Formats: sequence, C-alpha cells, structure tokens
Amino acid sequence: MHEAIGKRELIVLDGLGECLRGTYHPVADSSSELPASRGGRDRLGVLFVNSLSLPRAASGDSAVHWADSIAELGYPAFRIDLPGLGDSAGEASTDLLDLVNAGAFASVASVAVRQLVDRFGLTGMVIFGHCAGSVSALYASVASPECKGLILLDTYFHLPQASRPRVRQELSDWARRSRIGRFLSNGYDRARNLRLRLRGRALPGNANTQLLACWKQVATAGLPILLLQAPGIKAQGSKPRVGEFDYIDHVMKLAGRKNRVSVEFVESADHSFANREGRLAVQSHIAAWLVSHFPLTDFSLSAKGTASFHANEGQSGSRKSQMAPADGCCALEGR
Amino acid sequence: MQNKVESNSQLQERAGYFPVSGAHLYTVLHEVIDPVARVLLVGPFASERHNSYLPWVRWARDLAGKNIEVLRYDYRGIGESTGAFEQMTFEDWSQDVRLLSTWFQSRAPHVPLVLHGLGLGAVLAGRAFDEGVGKGLLLWSPPANANQALRATLMRWVGLEQIFKFGDDRRSASDYIRELEQGSPLEVDGYLWSVKLWHDSFHFTLPAALANEEVAAQAYKKRPVRIVKLTRDAAPLTKGGIVGFDDLKDFSWLFSPNREWIVEVASQSSKEIAHA
Repeated sequence: MHEAIGKRELIVLDGLGECLRGTYHPVADSSSELPASRGGRDRLGVLFVNSLSLPRAASGDSAVHWADSIAELGYPAFRIDLPGLGDSAGEASTDLLDLVNAGAFASVASVAVRQLVDRFGLTGMVIFGHCAGSVSALYASVASPECKGLILLDTYFHLPQASRPRVRQELSDWARRSRIGRFLSNGYDRARNLRLRLRGRALPGNANTQLLACWKQVATAGLPILLLQAPGIKAQGSKPRVGEFDYIDHVMKLAGRKNRVSVEFVESADHSFANREGRLAVQSHIAAWLVSHFPLTDFSLSAKGTASFHANEGQSGSRKSQMAPADGCCALEGR
Repeated sequence: MQNKVESNSQLQERAGYFPVSGAHLYTVLHEVIDPVARVLLVGPFASERHNSYLPWVRWARDLAGKNIEVLRYDYRGIGESTGAFEQMTFEDWSQDVRLLSTWFQSRAPHVPLVLHGLGLGAVLAGRAFDEGVGKGLLLWSPPANANQALRATLMRWVGLEQIFKFGDDRRSASDYIRELEQGSPLEVDGYLWSVKLWHDSFHFTLPAALANEEVAAQAYKKRPVRIVKLTRDAAPLTKGGIVGFDDLKDFSWLFSPNREWIVEVASQSSKEIAHA
C-alpha cells in the first residue's frame, strides 16, 4: 500500500482532536526540480469540504476531477472529510443539516486551513463548497484569516428541512407528473408570488440570517467570491421560480459596491454538478476565476491549463448572469 | 503530525493505494492486533458508493471494534481509486476482489477470511467465493446479476432527475434503457455507462449455488453463506433514503446479528483448523 501516487497523496490533519483524512492533489510542476509534494509552495491552495454527508469525492467524483484540474493549473488542491464524515473520525448525527446551517464546521474547517497553509507553505486558501458544503465554506471564511477566496456552488441562504413530510413530497411528485398537477402548481406559484410582492423586500421567515451576516462581512470586505448556480426546480433560466425570494439578488445588494463577487449561471449543470457538461463548465469558470484573481507568475502549466479550459467553455452552455435561481430548497429536496 | 492526532481507534485505520493493472485502488485497512477474523468489504456500485458511504464506514468500524480486521476499498475508476470508469469492465472489478483477497489473506493465513458484498459488490464477492476465496460469505441484497444492480442505480438516478422535470420533459428509466440498448452510452450521476458495460451486465451473474442459503449450504459445505435481503429500513444501503439523514441513523439492529454471524464463522473455522 502507498500513501502517495503520482498526482495524489493521502493526508491526515488534526480536526480539533478528531483525525481528519483527506487527499492532496499536488501541483504537477514539470519544470521544477522539487518533489511533487513540495511543488505547490508559495502558492494559493484550494480546499474542498464535504457537501452534507457525501464523502470528499462528491457526486460523480466531481470533486476529484476539479481538484485534479486545479492542480494542473498550478494551484495545490486538497479535499478533506470533516469530522464524522467520509473517512474522518468522529460521529455525525441526524441533525447534520441543522448543524451545518448553524456553522458547526466553521472552527474545524478553519483549523484545517491553517494546518494546510503551514504544512505546505501556502500563501492562503480558497475554500470550495457545494450546497451544504458552501454553507460550511462561507462560515469558515469568516473564522479563517488564511481564507483568500470562496468558490460556492448552489449556495442556499435559507433554513431547509432535512426531510419533507411524505404527503408533501408525494404531492410535489404528482404535480410534476400530471397536467392538472402542473396547472395547480403554477397557481400555487402565482399565489406565492403575490404574497412575495406584498411583503416587499422583507426576507422570508426561514432565511438564514446568521449566514447572511457572514456573507455580508466577507463580501463587503472584498473577498473574491465565485458563486455558481445550476438551474433550480421550475426556474426560468437564471431567474428563480415564480414566487420564490431571489436570494442571489439580495446577497448581491448586501455585498456592497466594493464587492468582488462573480455570479455565474451554469445552465448545463444539474444540482449535483456531477454531469459531464456541468462539471466541465464549472471547471472552466474556476480556471478563469482563479487565474484572474490569483494569477501565477512562475508556473508554466498555468497558461496551458487555462487555454484548455477556455476551449471547453464553448461547449459548456454556461452564461454569465448577475441573477441566479435561489432555489436552495431543491438541493435538499432532490436527495 | 499524523501520529499525534490519531486516537487509538483511528490509529489502526490505514488508508493507502493498492497497485493494480493501470490504476491504484484506494483502500482503508481497519487494522486489528490478533484479529479473530478478516472481512473484505465489497461495496456498492458507482453512485451508490456515495449514498451509502457513512453506514459502510461505520460497519467497518463496528467490526474492527469487535476484533475483526476489515479491508474496504473503492472500485477501480470510482471514488478515490484511479482509472477511467468508462473503460472498466466487470472482469477488472472481479480482479480487484481477487487481488485484495490474496493480499489480505497473506497478512496472516491462519485467520479466516470472510467476504462481504452489498449490491453489485455481492455479485463480485459471490463469484470470488465460488472460485474458492474465503471461509465465509455474507451477502446483503444480492441481485441475480449485475444488470439488476445497474437498474437499481438507474432508477434512483432517474428519480432524482425527475424532480427537476415536468410533464413531457420527464424521461422514464425505460427511455434511458432503450437508449443504452440501441447503442448509446449513458451518463448516470456523473459516470458514463458504456454500452458494453450494460450488455455485459446481463451475463455477469451471481453463481447459481448462491440462489439461497439452503442451496449454498449444500454447494459449499463447510464454508457458510448468509444472505440478507435488506428492507427499506436499511436505506441508503438499499434503495431510498435521504442523504444527510438516513445515512446517519442507527444501524446497530443490522450490524449486531451480522457481526455475530461473522464471529461464529470464524470460531467454527478456527476449531476446524485446530482439529485438523
């Protein structure tokens, strides 16, 4: 058994007393005489955290692909399992979603960031999270001075339920299947839309105000943030479903004038971002964003890697937008 | 840094890469000093791996906590293992089981090896057992052939796909199956299923002697077989369940009797060795 092979190395970190396990994707710097494991020094790293209870490879092993591609660009990448998840030690409980939404993983993620920065001689870390992982990443960015940027996929800013009542679930399914159901569903959406308009700009009752405060703190401070959104349930393009509060519009307003937030709508992706087209689109967006915000001066593969990602971009079906569906509920409903 | 932070129970979990032809398998050895038995866990297929990961890891830890050494791994081309999924065949995944069994058994040949498979993993483990690998075999929800396992995976994926689709945009599992049978590869949850994989799956069957425990008892004599059909309660180890909720629930009702069975198999095997 080996702990390291060509492009991957298994790592262990101290997660506030729990043993955290992860995978390190070193920079493949062929021009350097340095061993692969040290080839990423004096660079910015990218850290992936779990999406809810999924292991660190993520759906369709998409995190593995993205980490490989980021390392090829010249940025060392790390994927870790947070306590109680994947291969890491600790116990996770059935109220995991509530814990994530309350920022329970912020401290441990920031401790992991510090260790990785020290151990690999990095200049800082970009934290990457998808769905519930993006909530953890956002909380961690506030707790971590080493965090230099965020990549957030399908972030939700409300407090969803872990499991919907069975009757409601079956009703939704029926509405999707039948014409009458769709008609009624559209009527329901219009009624919600009316209520939304009457409420004005007030936040919905289930908004995650703690998370929104975190967002405001880091976004107004000018932290580079890449927000990627996949089409939600009944979303019309990059617009949210009729009757749903537009959280993306709201957080962009919260971010202030000096923000460095980029919002991209990835039309070709589904919520998991695991489908190939969606995965490649995400890869292109990340490459362009990293190179633009954190340019590398001494890495020969960077330009080459970026060029190949841009070549993929044409096929990705993605388009830039300042508006995106705010249907975080779909993320959890879909599982 | 590594040794400092690991608690006693974690110290014995060793993750590594096992070289196979053209790839490396990600393995986690739940190491035990002087184990009563060894269990090779052959997990579920592709995206099912992600859904069932937490209970699977907890099962490995449960066994290790009772002095049973466990080796779990990711199939070639899936999860943390390397290799291109779309190029993999059932024969490659069978070879993984054989290679790992040989390596695992060689750690201490006198300690009985039990194979345990779930879903497609049950077919892989069953075939290896039929070839003479292991002193005991535990199967959870074994399909009759790999195609049944693929269909179960497809059904789960289609169910998720349909959440985002309405009316005529919704495609059924049979629509996708038709595509595969007409010669088009299909991407399921990020994994590209080749037409060959689909066709081969019909012929990659569970050995006939593993149809049920009675037949198995006659066929394998002193090598016990236990077959458990998992119910909905076992989700997400079986179809259904909510990620982040069902995978975190208590599985001791499932683990305890199966662990006891493994201990019993090991005990019988050790007595036979001593007698011989």
